[in-house]
Order: sequence, then C-alpha cells, then structure tokens
Amino acid sequence: MPAIKKYLAPKALEDLIRDASTEGATILAGGTDLLPRWSRGLTPVAEVVIDIKRVAGLNGVSRVNGEICIGACTPVCDIAKDPTIRKEAPVLAEAAGRIACPQIRNRATLGGNLCNASPAADTAIPLILLEAVVDLASATTDGTTVREVPITEFFRGPGATVLAPGEILTRVRFKPPAGGMFAAWDKFGTRPAMEIAVASVGVALKIEAGKASWARIGYGSVAPVPLRGRAAEAELVGKPLTPQTIGKCAAAARDQIEPITDVRASAAYRREIVGVMLRRMLERAGSGRKG
Amino acid sequence: MQEVVEKVELAFTVNGEAMSLRVPPGATLLEVLREDLELTGTKYGCGEGECGACSVLLDGRVVNSCLVLAQECDGLEVLTIEGLRSNGQLHPIQKAFVEYGAIQCGFCTPGMIMAAYALLEANPSPSEEEIKRALEGNLCRCTGYRKIVDAVLSLAREGA
Repeated sequence: MPAIKKYLAPKALEDLIRDASTEGATILAGGTDLLPRWSRGLTPVAEVVIDIKRVAGLNGVSRVNGEICIGACTPVCDIAKDPTIRKEAPVLAEAAGRIACPQIRNRATLGGNLCNASPAADTAIPLILLEAVVDLASATTDGTTVREVPITEFFRGPGATVLAPGEILTRVRFKPPAGGMFAAWDKFGTRPAMEIAVASVGVALKIEAGKASWARIGYGSVAPVPLRGRAAEAELVGKPLTPQTIGKCAAAARDQIEPITDVRASAAYRREIVGVMLRRMLERAGSGRKG
Repeated sequence: MQEVVEKVELAFTVNGEAMSLRVPPGATLLEVLREDLELTGTKYGCGEGECGACSVLLDGRVVNSCLVLAQECDGLEVLTIEGLRSNGQLHPIQKAFVEYGAIQCGFCTPGMIMAAYALLEANPSPSEEEIKRALEGNLCRCTGYRKIVDAVLSLAREGA
C-alpha cells in the first residue's frame, strides 16, 4: 500500500490549481502508470496526492471554436470510441484503442499518457500528426493562467516535460484535418495486448496533383521523446510518391532517430523496423488508399 | 518504524450494498475488498496491472482493482465476483466456465469472468475475436485460453 498521507479530490479547476502548488504534491489521473511506479519504487510516493478526475470540465471530447478539445482526464477508451475522434482523427482513435488492455484503457487518461512522457506514449505520435497543442494551467497571484504549448515542444526527455511545478495539463486541442488526407499510425511489438511499442510510426499526408504537398511524420520508442520526423518530411514534400522518394524518406527516418537497445529490441532492429514501417505506409499512401 | 497515518472516510456501493468504512489514504481498492470487506474472490496477482486477476467493475467499467486507490471509489459502484451470484445461483458466465472446464487452478477465473461480464454487458453477441480482445488483459497460466474463449462464446447470442 502506498504510504500516502493525504488524498485530495478537488471538484473545481481553481481548487485544483491552488492545491497543485502545494509542495510535494503528486497529480493522480488514471493511476495505471503511477501506482506501478510507486510499488516498484521508481517514483517516490508523495505525501499529498491530488486526484484530478473529479475536476469539472476535464473529462470529455468537445468542439470549441472549430477545434476538437479533449479534456486531460478523458479515459483513452472513450477517445477510441468517440464518434468525433473516429471520424475526424481516426489515427488518434486507433492509437488510443491499442493501449494495453481494456482494464487499463478504462482508467488511463490522455493527459496521463502525455505527462508520463514515455518515448513510447501511444497517443503522442497521432497528436504530432494532428499538430495538437496542450493547455497548461497554473496559479498566479490573482487566479489562473494558461499557456499553450505545441505537442512537439511538450516533451523534454524520458519522463520529462516542460510542465513547471504546480502546472497542470488541462486539455489537448487540434483543428480537425481537412478531408481527403492520408493518415496512418501503427506500432510494432511482439504481442497485440499489453505491448509497449518496440517502435511506432505515424504519417499524415496531403497529396495534390500526384505530389505530397504537406506531410507530418512521427516516431515513437526510438528517441528520448516522441519524435517529429522532419528529415523524412523534407524528403517528401513537393515530390511524387515514387519508390525513389519513399526510399529516401525511409533512409532519412533511419538517420534521424536515436534508438537505444533495451529489453524489447536492439537499436539496430529499431532503426530497421522504422524504415520498413514508414516505407510501407508511404507505399499505401501512393497507392491511393486513405490510411 | 511505520508512521501511523490517519484513516479517512470511504462511502461506496459494493455489490449493490452501501458501505461506509475508514481506510488508510493509500489503500488500494483491492486491499479494501479483500482485507476490510473480506471479499476474497478478487485475487491479488501481479499488483501492477499486467495480469487482470484483480478485475472488478467500477461504475460499470472493468478495471484492475490493484491500480485504483480505494479513495478514488468514493460515491461509486463496485461489482465483484461475489456480486454476480443471485438467489444462491451461479451467474450464467460462472456456469459456462464450469460446463466448459474453463478452470484449472482457478486463480485467474474471477478476473476472467468479470472481464467477460463487462464484455457481454456492452456487447451481448461478441465474435470470437472480440472475446479475445476483451480478455487480453487477463492472464491464465494453466488452460491455454481455448476453453475460456469457448465458455464465453457459448453465451454469445445468435445474430451478431
């Protein structure tokens, strides 16, 4: 049993922001990562735990000013099933629906998946493709302030983000992509369930007059952070999806990533599989499929 | 030396019955179910969300009770394996597990049945693939899963 001394469950955002500035407080969302970290001794058990799931307005998918907004405490199973996400951002629904297993998906939240800052966070790559931003709220002398951070600038390293002490990720936002775009995401592992990705790859492309006019590419589990594939994007934009272009993209991906060797795979294998996954996705895009 | 931590009030519903008790702030739902309420049908397997032996329903959703603090359940409804029996009769899922021999040591069985219950509540006509996906968070070290999947499949209504 974690040796927690105090458990708080604020219901209003102002109360949460105030409580979160307490020294030594730990934020609890779904708990599916935090509780195992506590029991393995990887994260010290905080004396004060703030459960943010009861805070009004942090759970659910909505449309605000033309954007899709997802509250930080939305369980990933709800994102996988949400009709708006499935229609407008199916890559995010796919990734959310392939996290762990039903028991975990019913608890794990989008905000938690991001704030853990695992290089393998399944939802991070689709959010890079969607050019998502996160809202970070914190206390000021006379209330609350919110700053907006692009998802590509949120992660700082394994387990590290730009979140300042007391700052709370409240929601994730993105503009629904234009119709007719190619988008795909996939992860590779040795079994479908409970798998932390050996590597994951996502691609979003606009193809106009036979050429890629816009591209976003992302990789998971192959760098200290979920990585935007700028090098491969640069090889792609303005060019037709020929085998030659695709080959150059895959080579650029292999060069850009910085995989490590760990229990799940070697660095060399990760480098190889990322190139293969990217090549296959681009071949599908070139064949006129949507994803 | 263990520091004494003040217990806190917890009020929730377990198997349809309103409960009120005092628990340490760090107690997990699994610990409270087993130690305080003596509902030992729910098993402690891995303690880190890998095996599913501690599966219960929390407000209708299947969760690993080892990964939920009891305090998070304040005001919510919990259903455990003990809550499936009615009028002294086993639940149809339990009967199917017996009939199909979907049990060897039995340690994973309560979790398997709770995960199957959650599936059948949401989808009374699951395909075999859907059953496998629904049980992917539950490990069994004895049976090889075939009989477990068959037991759940026997309950899937025709006309999916």
